[in-house]
Amino acid sequence: MSNWRTRNRPLVILLTLLLLGLMLFPFFVMVSTMLKSSQEIYVVPATWIPRNLTFANFTRVWIEYHLLLYFRSSLIVALGTMALNILVSVPAAYAVARLRFLGRKAVMYLLLAIQMFSPVIVVISLFRIFARAQLIDTYTGLILANTVFTISFATWMMTGYFSAIPSEIEEAARIDGCSRVGTLLRVMLPIAAPGLVTVMIYNFITAWNEFLFALTFINARAKMPLTLGIYQFVGRWSTQWELLTTSAFLALIPVLVLFYLIEKQLVAGLASGAVKG
Amino acid sequence: MGASTVSLRSRYWNKEAQLAYLLMLPAVVLLLSLMVYPIAYVFMMSLYRTDRLGRLQEFAGMAAYLEVFSTRVFWETTVRTAVWTVLAVVVKAVLGMIIALVLNVEYTGRRTARMLFIIPWASSVPISAMLWKWVYDHEFGLLNQTLRATGIWTNPPVWLGAPTSAFISTIWVDIWVGVPFMALIFLAGMQAISRDLYESGDIDGANATQKFVHITIPGIRHLILIATMLSSLWTFNDFNTVFILTKGGPGTSTEILITAVYKHGFEWLRFSRAAVMAVVTFVILTMLSLIYARMFFRQERDL
Repeated sequence: MSNWRTRNRPLVILLTLLLLGLMLFPFFVMVSTMLKSSQEIYVVPATWIPRNLTFANFTRVWIEYHLLLYFRSSLIVALGTMALNILVSVPAAYAVARLRFLGRKAVMYLLLAIQMFSPVIVVISLFRIFARAQLIDTYTGLILANTVFTISFATWMMTGYFSAIPSEIEEAARIDGCSRVGTLLRVMLPIAAPGLVTVMIYNFITAWNEFLFALTFINARAKMPLTLGIYQFVGRWSTQWELLTTSAFLALIPVLVLFYLIEKQLVAGLASGAVKG
Repeated sequence: MGASTVSLRSRYWNKEAQLAYLLMLPAVVLLLSLMVYPIAYVFMMSLYRTDRLGRLQEFAGMAAYLEVFSTRVFWETTVRTAVWTVLAVVVKAVLGMIIALVLNVEYTGRRTARMLFIIPWASSVPISAMLWKWVYDHEFGLLNQTLRATGIWTNPPVWLGAPTSAFISTIWVDIWVGVPFMALIFLAGMQAISRDLYESGDIDGANATQKFVHITIPGIRHLILIATMLSSLWTFNDFNTVFILTKGGPGTSTEILITAVYKHGFEWLRFSRAAVMAVVTFVILTMLSLIYARMFFRQERDL
């Protein structure tokens, strides 16, 4: 294949550029639109490069459209989900990875299976349950819903990281008089720290990007996370695209940065059944 | 051990097992109360008449099921969901494979290209869908402008306005989101294949296509299976793309099961019907998940 490769390298590069153009098209549009004035977006023919570059949209979304509130909500929900998820997933993962008990295999099966369930299936009844528990329009409700739907993946990933730690290390600590919980906290977690960080970031991103629960459970503007807040720019008759793209740009930066940090581990985790060994 | 006095009880209810159950308790409580119970509740809703807030009224047996199953739209939606899932996953796999092959060639800037290819996956799906809605805009969107200006298509369609083009536009966004995942998984697999295999292929005089078919594909077969399976589930569940782009319209031309559930519930307030469709979705997803889990565990055993 190597000869083929060297011979066709220019072709490959051309193909790469074409494919990249295809894949990045909406982001070019985003950047182009966010730098236009509200008049220029309704110009025919549409312009690729804004005639009058303006950053006015940035100040408008912050000052007139309360983007800060949406950012705040997203941050609270994402951090809350991350924390709650770690609190419940790490102990569960440790148990599955290291302890012998009846039903261990069943638990692993179940974790894989529920990872696939769509939130839409439960959202119609969860709405009733949240209404009764007065969790509508609360961050707590969103955090709980997001946590439940990230538990399985987080536990699955952490189980993998814990299992990879040689049991001798843990046994040595136990001989030195460390309790089970002590070894988990003082030995296992520090070794599995890179994995833990991956899982935390994954939870954060998932909650940050979540839309369905927010759409269903949140009506108050002040409680809206970014995805739902930005969706408010979409009107029935017209949409403020210059403001939408500006907000989208700002909302995407944190997730893109975080995603690059964990991308390698995420791919490995998702494919772990096949790559392992 | 081994003595019959060591009963099952002490084998499975010892300190270690107790600790395990204790550690799993918080996760189990959350899953039971906010996943299992809501699913059970959805089953109940499907068997009861419900009011406009989704509260259970009186028992109705299979009435809602019969109502839903007797409508044409339901069957059309189900078939469309199957077409949607299969078509999208196939295109994702093919495009993902092409990108993986391209990224597997060494040239300067390959790392940057890899980073850029990931963006659609790394980005937030709801936000991407909103961006695409603007891209597709008939009059002011830059897609049509580009098509017109380059002469590729002088009279481009109103993408989201007509049934066929709306279906294509919507499924394309779903594909676009899913391609990078496929590409990355395939690429990881390709890079794990030993170079010796390709070298012995060269010695045997195999051409690029033969090597691709006989070395690359078998080498990443497991990964193709896993990635296809995962991607099918995600595609089937892709509520955000459809809801944000078209809400299932125009008419029902882009409706899939998952958006139908939501709309029957929260837009038309027919919670029993929504619940019936949710149950159908649940059954389909459970079957797919079990296949996936079995595949996954079989592979674990093989290794």
